[in-house]
Amino acid sequence: MNADNRKGELAELKGQLRQLAGSRAPGVEDLKRELYKKVISYLTVGIDVSSLFSEMVMCSATSDLVLKKMCYLYVGNYARGYPELALLTINFLQKDCQDDDPMIRGLALRSLCSLRVKNLVEYLVGPLQRGLKDSNGYVRSVAAIGVLKLYHIAPSSCTDNDFPVTLKALLLHDSDPQVVANCLCSLLEILSIEGNVSEAALREKESLLHRNVILSLLNRFKEFSEWAQCLVLEVVSKYVPEDAQETHDMMDVLDDRLQHANSAVVLATIKVFLHLTMSMADVHQKVYERIKAPLLTLVSSGSAEQSYAVLSHLHLLVMRAPMLFASDYKHFYCRYSDPSYVKKLKLEMLTAVANESNTYEIVTELSEYAANVDVAIARESIRAVGKIALQQYDVNAIVDRLLQFLEMEKDYVTAETLVLVKDLLRKYPQWSHDCIAVVGNVSSKSVTEPKAKAALVWMLGEYAYDMSDAPYVLEGFVQSWAEEDFAEVRLELLTAVAKCFFKRPPETVQILGAALSFGFADANQDVHDRALLYYRLLQHSVEVAERVINPPKQAVSVFAGDQSSEIKDRIFDEFNSLAVVYRQPSYMFLDKDQRSPFAFSEDTGSSIIGPQSPGREDLPSDIDARDNDLLLSAHEKEDSRAVSNGSHGYSSSKFHTLQEFTDSAFAPRSPSPTQPIRNARATPLPPAAVSSTAASPLLAVDDLLGLGPSASAEPFPPLKLNPKPVLDPASFKRKWGQLTVALTLEYTFPAQAMVGLTGPQPLVRHMQTNSVQCMASGNAPLKFFFFAQLADAPANTGFFLVELVVTTSSGLASAKIKADDSSLAPAFADSLQSALSKFGSL
Amino acid sequence: MLEKQWMGQQVDRSICTWFWTQAHPPGHDEFGPPRVPAVIASPTYYLISIVREGVTFLACTLSEMQPLLGIEFLCRVADVLAEYFGGLNEDLIKDNYVLVYQLLDEMMDSGFPLTTEPSILKEMIAPPNFVSRVLSVVTGGSSSMSSTLPTAASSNVPWRALGIKHTNNEIYFDLVEEVDAIVNKDGFLVKCQVYGEVQGNSRLSGMPDLTLNFTNPSIISDVRFHPCVRYQDWEARQHLKFIPPDGQFKLMSYRVKGLENTPLYVKPQLSCSEGVVRVNILVGIRIDPGRTIENIVVDVPWPPTVTTAELTANHGTVLFNSSTKVCTWTIGRIPKDKSPCLTGSVNLEAGLDRLHEFPTILVGFKIMGVALSGLKVDKLEYDNIAYRVYKGFRAVTKATCYEIRT
Repeated sequence: MNADNRKGELAELKGQLRQLAGSRAPGVEDLKRELYKKVISYLTVGIDVSSLFSEMVMCSATSDLVLKKMCYLYVGNYARGYPELALLTINFLQKDCQDDDPMIRGLALRSLCSLRVKNLVEYLVGPLQRGLKDSNGYVRSVAAIGVLKLYHIAPSSCTDNDFPVTLKALLLHDSDPQVVANCLCSLLEILSIEGNVSEAALREKESLLHRNVILSLLNRFKEFSEWAQCLVLEVVSKYVPEDAQETHDMMDVLDDRLQHANSAVVLATIKVFLHLTMSMADVHQKVYERIKAPLLTLVSSGSAEQSYAVLSHLHLLVMRAPMLFASDYKHFYCRYSDPSYVKKLKLEMLTAVANESNTYEIVTELSEYAANVDVAIARESIRAVGKIALQQYDVNAIVDRLLQFLEMEKDYVTAETLVLVKDLLRKYPQWSHDCIAVVGNVSSKSVTEPKAKAALVWMLGEYAYDMSDAPYVLEGFVQSWAEEDFAEVRLELLTAVAKCFFKRPPETVQILGAALSFGFADANQDVHDRALLYYRLLQHSVEVAERVINPPKQAVSVFAGDQSSEIKDRIFDEFNSLAVVYRQPSYMFLDKDQRSPFAFSEDTGSSIIGPQSPGREDLPSDIDARDNDLLLSAHEKEDSRAVSNGSHGYSSSKFHTLQEFTDSAFAPRSPSPTQPIRNARATPLPPAAVSSTAASPLLAVDDLLGLGPSASAEPFPPLKLNPKPVLDPASFKRKWGQLTVALTLEYTFPAQAMVGLTGPQPLVRHMQTNSVQCMASGNAPLKFFFFAQLADAPANTGFFLVELVVTTSSGLASAKIKADDSSLAPAFADSLQSALSKFGSL
Repeated sequence: MLEKQWMGQQVDRSICTWFWTQAHPPGHDEFGPPRVPAVIASPTYYLISIVREGVTFLACTLSEMQPLLGIEFLCRVADVLAEYFGGLNEDLIKDNYVLVYQLLDEMMDSGFPLTTEPSILKEMIAPPNFVSRVLSVVTGGSSSMSSTLPTAASSNVPWRALGIKHTNNEIYFDLVEEVDAIVNKDGFLVKCQVYGEVQGNSRLSGMPDLTLNFTNPSIISDVRFHPCVRYQDWEARQHLKFIPPDGQFKLMSYRVKGLENTPLYVKPQLSCSEGVVRVNILVGIRIDPGRTIENIVVDVPWPPTVTTAELTANHGTVLFNSSTKVCTWTIGRIPKDKSPCLTGSVNLEAGLDRLHEFPTILVGFKIMGVALSGLKVDKLEYDNIAYRVYKGFRAVTKATCYEIRT
């Protein structure tokens, strides 16, 4: 339809409408209806029919409900653009607000409130006040939402007329549940915006969480529609019950909601359960058990869209308490038809829930994905195998898989596998024999990706003894130096050749010379500098060079995590929100300032309506805490790309990093200035009882600046522990008897950690990864005897013995520490505490 | 495109274009499933989307919200529209713009969902059924709207109106089960579960109080109920007590885990040499479910490296789609005298010696009259009504994602 044609048609419509306006002939309503329908469908496809405004209004004097509705729709659509014309409609809308039919009263009131024209506000107040007192529930519920609309247009006329007070009264006493729900909805929104400017409103909002309100809502809970239930549950999740009995009563009332057909209700209920029991570790764990089945059912039986959103929530829970989901791993098997974002979530969950009993099945399953058509998923699954390998002890199974991967002879599979083997070796040097045998068969030509190449080169240098052809393979790499595009690989090559030289000098000396001269000529500053450094070191003394370039290595115990536990806690607090799906706390994405500028399709209304959009979290009192949050996490984010997209735009983060740096340099042991900030946050952090001070802060600075030689005579601030200490039970007993308690330590496990502590095993395994071995453990009460040994202590000395008792109900752990050298006990206590605090947040 | 704004801030229509290019990047199948998750962030809004029958429903928000509330609501909108129009597609929506607006108006206000129960909505807004159309023609223009407000909105049974009358009082239940099974490449069944639904279709007058008993409710691992089901009774006695909504409804959905076997076996054998993959797939009945297994279809989505296929079957038809590389073998029913077998070879791209990515075979089938989990309805009792009820039960098992990896 071209423009002229359309104009003609509109003019025709206009004429027809005019004719009908005054007519009372029979059948005229039908004609009108047809015309209205035409207008509405033009409007829908985006044709501007605003020129018909006055005719439409003229025709609106009708008793036909459908016509009325169409007219309301039309008026609502154009009133904002044509406020003068909108004035024409006020008259008939106000009249309709007093119609005998409650349906028409309600509809007219809704349309009246939806006009959103500021200078018509005065006509709104009267009908709204009457509407709230209407005898019909439908009208009252429309009016309750109408108040909210009024507030958005003109906040002052809403509050001046005491609408919030009326709403609150209705909230508590109205007989119609829908009215109650709508009042709650409006009140929450009005008060949280109003709370930004007024203390009273803030208090008023708090009072919505008062026991009486919550109980009155819960008592009639089942009368509410499912959507209202979601809203009520959201409010209830913020309520703190008076005592344990009340918590149990509330959970009893809500328990059957977990079986509700509406997934939104189920999720909202789960949030309530989780939040109610945060401070009750043992119940919290039972809650996990209870919510597991409904969540798993939702994931697998709902529509694809629901399934994804629920899966995101499940992912969060699995990451917090992987042990509880260990037996459900089959639910996380990927289906062929799953979209890749779902597969990715599932892979992460499979990785997290792996334990001794299911590792074999999970790794087998993951290996099948490595042959997946989707390359990204194939890569992810190999990485997942790697992560499981880093957690577990089933060497043989894993090595078998590695062989399988390499046999597939696919470039990206080989590449991922090499990176995986490298990480494995860094953590478990004792596996070098098996792993090197695997890698030995890889042809260096088939490796093209820089990360994989660097990994291969690193292994060649590190295990030059075990790989007979290492120098020759390296030679090949050095010869093609010029073709190597990635500085990362060239850097690694320099180091590897140097290390190989220390191990097998006669074979490597020529290659080293070549590598160094290539390095001098390299355009990359880092490569150049490293070559020069090696050269000077070697010139100075080969022994010193070896100490610098190839010092004895400490196995890596924990790789840097990708998301800090604070952020995870934060997201957990926002359970059942977009934050979980985006996997970022909402302050990271809801803050407008951080987002790229965008054009609101907004007119005059925006300045007034502006504050409505941010979520309820946006109270001013929160903002400071939030900034602190962001600052704290800023430096953590540098390690992790995963969350970094939220951090830009905060220039102060640099300063904070510096602050953090000085904190850790000068006061690494004492409670650092960051501590109070951490505690001030909303997230429940364990009240740590730090009871020791550092050895020498200055030394720590030396270390940080890299001044101290790596083979320093002084112990490192984080106590170096022997990863595999040996102590037989008899000696343990004897030592325990001989030594006195050097130190006691108290630590409270956060609730989510306690969830994982169903028996002694998880903690035992966790402590092993922190070089603390278990001598014995008991289940009721949870009690452990741990021991650890200084890294380079002679046999049978340098031991630390620990007795740890955990109270399951409160999560309180008390430890008695005994040490061969009691002067080191404080330092050890500190490592112990940090090891404990990592439990459950991996 | 149809929009309905609930908030003061107008959402610009251009967001739909943005979403469309994200969900269907150029060069991809325009009618395929969207390539983005259901919940995404655009530069301006947070978007929740669902796709039903080729119609995309998109919700925009600027603030934090419960994502499932959004998704569930969109699902309900889709369901309600489908119920009203007897289906869902672009044309139906175009023909009924006005009705859609009316429905949306009642379903949500100011961003807060209100009434989504179809039976209540139908009382407020009459569906475009044949009867009302005839009526309006005959009587010359009486309103198709009921002008009274729904009675149930404020009653204790929000899903059912008072005073429903039917001339034939009947109620039907369908047990629909779906098999979710994965066989790994070593031929082991690694996962086998059944998801089931009890779908009801009620045409009963008055306020009937029904009790549905199963012979073996203990096999159910987890359940979800329509709000009408009284959970306490299920907890205590494992039966369903409820006042049904009028018309079609989903009474409950359930999950049965740990099934030992699938009724069908599919044994693929692939061997590669010199750029040719020899294929041999056998299909047969492992356990006789008691009824005929129908609509058996075997899909082999070959990786893109496969160029051509020469596959034949001794039963059924074989089609190879050379653009998607999916080979579809339609078997139908398994003949008595032979076991169906697909044989032949596929050719790989030049330069490739063997297959690097092995296909996952997808098998679909349907068994009428049997619920694979073994769940059986024992009896239906009714209370609170004086008339005789005609009752009907059916069961059907479907497989839509039975995967065999190779």
